[in-house]
Amino acid sequence: MEEIVQHLTPLLDQVTGYIYPNEIELHWGLLVVIYPYLTGLVAGAFILASLVKVFNVKELQPTYRLSLLTALAFIVIAPLPLLAHLGHPEKSFEIFLTPNVNSAMAMFGFVYAWYLMAVLLLELWFDFRQDLVTMANESKGFKRLFYRTISLFSKDLSEKAIAFDHKAVRVITIIGIPSAFLLHGYVGFLFGSIKANPWWSSVLIPIVFLFSAIVSGVALVILLYMVITPLRNKVVDMLCLDKLASYLFYIMIVDFSLEILDFIHRVYESEESISILASLVQNKLFSSLVIMQVLMGMILPLFTIAAVKTFKVPADLRKLLYFISAILVQVGIFSTRWNVVIGGQLFSKSFMGLTTYKMTFFGLEGLLVSIGLLIMPFIILWILIKILDPWRSEDAALSTPTTGQ
Amino acid sequence: MNNWISKIPEQIKLLAVVVTVIITAFLIVRPMLIPAGFGEQGHFRSGALNDAVAVQFKYAGKASCVECHDDMTDMLAGGYHKKLSCEVCHGPLAGHIDDPDENTPSFPRERTLCPVCHEYLSSRPTGFPQIVSQSHNSLKACISCHEPHDPVPPDVPSQCSACHGEISRSKAVSHHVDIECEFCHTTPELHKTSPRQYRPSKPQNREFCGQCHTKNSKHNTKAPRIDLATHETRYDCWQCHYPHLPEAR
Ligand code: HEC
Ligand code: HEC
Ligand code: HEC
Ligand code: HEC
Ligand code: HEC
Ligand code: HEC
Ligand code: HEC
Ligand code: HEC
Repeated sequence: MEEIVQHLTPLLDQVTGYIYPNEIELHWGLLVVIYPYLTGLVAGAFILASLVKVFNVKELQPTYRLSLLTALAFIVIAPLPLLAHLGHPEKSFEIFLTPNVNSAMAMFGFVYAWYLMAVLLLELWFDFRQDLVTMANESKGFKRLFYRTISLFSKDLSEKAIAFDHKAVRVITIIGIPSAFLLHGYVGFLFGSIKANPWWSSVLIPIVFLFSAIVSGVALVILLYMVITPLRNKVVDMLCLDKLASYLFYIMIVDFSLEILDFIHRVYESEESISILASLVQNKLFSSLVIMQVLMGMILPLFTIAAVKTFKVPADLRKLLYFISAILVQVGIFSTRWNVVIGGQLFSKSFMGLTTYKMTFFGLEGLLVSIGLLIMPFIILWILIKILDPWRSEDAALSTPTTGQ
Repeated sequence: MNNWISKIPEQIKLLAVVVTVIITAFLIVRPMLIPAGFGEQGHFRSGALNDAVAVQFKYAGKASCVECHDDMTDMLAGGYHKKLSCEVCHGPLAGHIDDPDENTPSFPRERTLCPVCHEYLSSRPTGFPQIVSQSHNSLKACISCHEPHDPVPPDVPSQCSACHGEISRSKAVSHHVDIECEFCHTTPELHKTSPRQYRPSKPQNREFCGQCHTKNSKHNTKAPRIDLATHETRYDCWQCHYPHLPEAR
């Protein structure tokens, strides 16, 4: 008792109005912000990749494999924040053993597993199979065994087999698009179906989540492409970059319209929660929602890309502007996740008061762990690129046209 | 037959092997990992019920104290704290029942316990006794003036604010700051000792407010004037203006 009183008293100073006792402290912190952010990047990167295969957008070919590997690198890390937040990660596999169909959260494990195993890994395997086999043939010893193993001891490099690979990739992508929608729509659904919370409970949330996911994924691939290409001593393909930027632009317009629609809908409906939500937005979320999410993360990049599209901007400046816009978009989407997760807990269910989120630095739920979790996908991506060498055939085609392989 | 199998692409065969391995491994491992008794009574391990039953009781409950401390339970039952449990102040005492001499209760004699319930908070209900502990006799322990098992103020409170903290604080910053509570509420003296039995009066009609606010009021105040006959006649004034913090704009 004494401890609890001592622990909560300083927090009480931050509280305005009337809130229930169990609302002083937030239960979902930074880690739960990172989780939808990461899954969003996965879904976004994947959908970008599928544009190449399903809709045959040739310009985007240079980023196809990069997007797929990005999706893989991020999806491996995506559940970690949840595991760290819940504690007892060693028990997490139990949700697979005893599936509970009544729990949306428990079923997410299956959505995740489906997407990882049946979509991403499968598509990557078919796409890289030819390369893996050749790489295995070219290397020896442990390396050879390794490539053999991940190619599942496949050997067939006949034209027919490769044609089959291409067909398989196409089919998986077609299944993959709804799966990617499901993956991130599901994350939105988890929030949108919490009917006790008016900030979350909305049928639009899954769709808004989905489009913001695509926005963030495309922006991430732009950033990665622009950083990695010079590191490989190659030249950025402006055609590809312009196309990426256009897609970013159009999807952002859709995303922005949806968010506006959600906003207008809430204001017009004016349910009893509207006044506390208004004060939430005007006080506690002003900088993260109005300034970071909407102005910096949405309007500024939209205007920048629109300007680039209308005026003839030289390539170097264009690159710089794209780069800055993509970074701003990342900041904006991260704020979106923040505003949903943290914002949804800052107001009392009594609709009469607001509390504050106090972030810690150390500890499992702290800033340090979160930064670590955000860096890890990039390390994994680096390792994946090292192992799989995604630009292999492309580079080969450039240096020595038509080798026998 | 052979021909038919060889037509299947190599990739499919390999993947089929992998998928079969995964599924068989899952099917073999699953029964071993699922805890015994799972699903017998629902989506949980039925042994969990026994675990819950086996949990050590920490609290004994008020009824169990009567046996040995009937003086105290009687005293508590007669006073304002009649609804409190003994253990909310003395701590969990299941052990004490078994062996009173070994497991002695704690005594919250400091000033920290009582304000958990009695510190002024605007959300507490009307009439709930509240104090601001920093200014309420701040140097002495609460129990030096209030018997914890039968708390009564040593003196009858002189101010309505002792129990109606929020209303008093609202009124203090309102346009009605200069009007005494008793002007609008005729309060029997006994209300301050037995507030629920002896209730003060409340204004009953529009004319009451009209005393000061109607056009031709003789009250020599700076009260803004309205026409009682035309100003929102279908409602009582306090359905729109909170009397303790009236607002008009
Ligand atoms: C089986 C009889 C018994 C029951 C039941 C019992 N007590 Fe006691 N209690 C005692 C005895 C005997 C003492 C005296 C111990 C001593 O003086 O060392 C005592 C002492 C106390 C004291 C300290 C009194 C002092 O002067 O030190 C408190 C407080 C107390 N009990 C509270 C409770 C509460 C609350 C309950 C109900 C949850 C309870 N007891 C139930 C027998 C009992
Ligand atoms: C509001 C908090 C509170 C509640 C409720 C409460 N007590 Fe106490 N009790 C105290 C405090 C404080 C003391 C110490 C009094 C003192 O030192 O003068 C005390 C002292 C005692 C004592 C020893 C003091 C004496 O006069 O012998 C007993 C016995 C006791 N309580 C039993 C009970 C029992 C039984 C109940 C439930 C029926 C109960 N108390 C409920 C706060 C409480
Ligand atoms: C668990 C909450 C709780 C704790 C702890 C508590 N009280 Fe109370 N107290 C109450 C309740 C409930 C009432 C009855 C209010 C009512 O009648 O509306 C009350 C009433 C009172 C009254 C008012 C009597 C009156 O004339 O209206 C006083 C004085 C008082 N308590 C003093 C104390 C002191 C001193 C302590 C610390 C030893 C204490 N309380 C601890 C809940 C608590
Ligand atoms: C020096 C004696 C003294 C001390 C110490 C003291 N009080 Fe009081 N208390 C009084 C008096 C006298 C009143 C009468 C109300 C008034 O006029 O303010 C009172 C009134 C109260 C009331 C409101 C009474 C009612 O009927 O609503 C509460 C509650 C209360 N005290 C709780 C406490 C608490 C809690 C503490 C310890 C933090 C404490 N008191 C310490 C003397 C004391
Ligand atoms: C000892 C504490 C106490 C004091 C002092 C006190 N009251 Fe009350 N008052 C109460 C309680 C308890 C209630 C009942 C609240 C309820 O039932 O919701 C109450 C109710 C009322 C009501 C509402 C009655 C009704 O029927 O709804 C009025 C009006 C009121 N008090 C006015 C006053 C005024 C004016 C004073 C000062 C002269 C005063 N009270 C002093 C405790 C107190
Ligand atoms: C200008 C006249 C006026 C003054 C001054 C006034 N009241 Fe009231 N009060 C009212 C009216 C009118 C109501 C009835 C409101 C209703 O029924 O909704 C009321 C209702 C109440 C109630 C019961 C309803 C509630 O809100 O819980 C309490 C308690 C009360 N007053 C306490 C006080 C106290 C204490 C003061 C002094 C600090 C005070 N009042 C001063 C006009 C007044
Ligand atoms: C004793 C005389 C008196 C009574 C009775 C009285 N008032 Fe007032 N009222 C005043 C005075 C004086 C002011 C203006 C004070 C000022 O401007 O600082 C005022 C101001 C107001 C205002 C205007 C507040 C503003 O924002 O300008 C409203 C509304 C009001 N009272 C409503 C009521 C209602 C409703 C009642 C009946 C429950 C009532 N009054 C009873 C004296 C009274
Ligand atoms: C249906 C709601 C309603 C009711 C009932 C009502 N008022 Fe008003 N009152 C208002 C509104 C709205 C205003 C402010 C707009 C205006 O000046 O008309 C107001 C303004 C006032 C003013 C300030 C006028 C000024 O010139 O500043 C006073 C005083 C006042 N009311 C007193 C009363 C009194 C006394 C009663 C009961 C006889 C009463 N009201 C009943 C809604 C109401």
